[in-house]
Amino acid sequence: MGAVRGCNIPDDLSYNVENNAWARKESDGTVTVGVTSYACSLAGEIVSYTPKKVGKSIEKDKSCATVESGKWVGPVKSPVAGEVVAVNEAVTAKPGLINRDPYGQGWIVRLKPGNWDGDSAALHKGAAALTAFESKMQVDGFKGC
Amino acid sequence: MSAARPRWRVIDFGPRTAAEYVATNRALLEARQRGLAPDTLSFLTFSEPAALVGFHQSVDQELRRDYCAHHGITIQRRVSGGGALYVDSTVIGWELYLDRHAAGSCDMLDIARRICETAAIGIRNLGVDARFRPRNDIEVGGRKIAGTGGTYDGDVLLYHGSLLIDFDVERMLRVLRIPAEKLKDKAIASARERVASLKELLGGAPSMPQVIAAMTGAFAAGFGVEFVPAEALSPAEQDLFAVALAEVDTEEWVEQVSRPVSETPVFEGLHRSAGGLMRVSLSVDSARGRIRQAWFTGDFFVNPRRLVADLEAALRDSPLSGWRTTVERFFASYPAEMLLLGPADFMAAIENALQASAAGAVADAAVPA
Repeated sequence: MGAVRGCNIPDDLSYNVENNAWARKESDGTVTVGVTSYACSLAGEIVSYTPKKVGKSIEKDKSCATVESGKWVGPVKSPVAGEVVAVNEAVTAKPGLINRDPYGQGWIVRLKPGNWDGDSAALHKGAAALTAFESKMQVDGFKGC
Repeated sequence: MSAARPRWRVIDFGPRTAAEYVATNRALLEARQRGLAPDTLSFLTFSEPAALVGFHQSVDQELRRDYCAHHGITIQRRVSGGGALYVDSTVIGWELYLDRHAAGSCDMLDIARRICETAAIGIRNLGVDARFRPRNDIEVGGRKIAGTGGTYDGDVLLYHGSLLIDFDVERMLRVLRIPAEKLKDKAIASARERVASLKELLGGAPSMPQVIAAMTGAFAAGFGVEFVPAEALSPAEQDLFAVALAEVDTEEWVEQVSRPVSETPVFEGLHRSAGGLMRVSLSVDSARGRIRQAWFTGDFFVNPRRLVADLEAALRDSPLSGWRTTVERFFASYPAEMLLLGPADFMAAIENALQASAAGAVADAAVPA
């Protein structure tokens, strides 16, 4: 389990560091997408969640859901392309789950990936992800989770 | 020698329809993100009466649709977060489009605070004692004069607000579904204690150029920038605006979030004490477990009078399960003078409202199908 400046960054996920999002290939071939604990720390408590509808095609680095915290609305950008196969009903009822468990119960959407191998090759993993997040936090002037 | 100050653009869009307003937001945000626009502060007024819901809000939960239809009030959906508001030609909108790094922080709450505090200085420049009230209001003497909200995409953000120049409180009460609806004749007086306009406070409405000068002065000083006036959008921005307008001036955009009114009941709580009779109307989002809005009225006395409006602001959009903590935290840091009334009385009123809600749930469940 990795961490950067107190933010949990699990080492088994693939990250788009710039967009503060992660992706995980599941055993059934689908891909789960979520946001990082760093993103949650910057946003504050998330109070609304509107995912794209099941069946919708999402391009890589385009919005797969919209969240709101502290009157700010922002997109969650999917690290990989794919078709939405599931949205998180538990998060619809309790958007704060994203803050409490961003890598578990607080997942954002599940996708049937269009090109997992191609898209995921460009994502950061393991130690490289930790280094990239440290650089981003440095640029952002982030003190810590 | 000091470095040259960054230059931000300032534009006065003049009167816009609600759809044009939302399309302008989207177009300039995208233009800024694509590097087609500089950091910009813009202003506009509304050329039609309109009710604007927040991006994640449901029209049916927030607005009286029939009243809006009957009175020619356009319904639109903002790109930003926060609550529903009523606007017309007496409301000025101000908008800031920035690269996030120009905001001086990566923390979104810090960014909102800095922008709101600067906007409050701008409003103070007009001659009223405007202050930022967390999380997103600007108030004068406890009465709200501007609401704010924002959106971001990557490293670019839009943060905007309304500013009440003159305001039709009665119409606001009819357009918005707010807990005061049960107060009937007292609702207007009660709302006037919570909302203020510049015309009322100053004895006359400031002109648009006066507002622009006051606000740009505050942002120039607060962010260390100089403003370059522009007359219109660039051709590239106008193209983005046309695309955005075609997308938002549609039922699909406005109605994209739809939730039933039954998820947002209003509960009444009464509490009688040595300090007087207190009534609270509590609007609750039962599906998401949040207090949407609380509205205290009654014949009790508190000093300062604004305490009630400030407590309501603290409770707005707060977690329902944590309401006691919200009230306790509020009073722990609030300089209140209450001889016959204490925090426990406010809590008792809320408790009674929530007991009414629990009783209602049991009664509903007991009704045979």
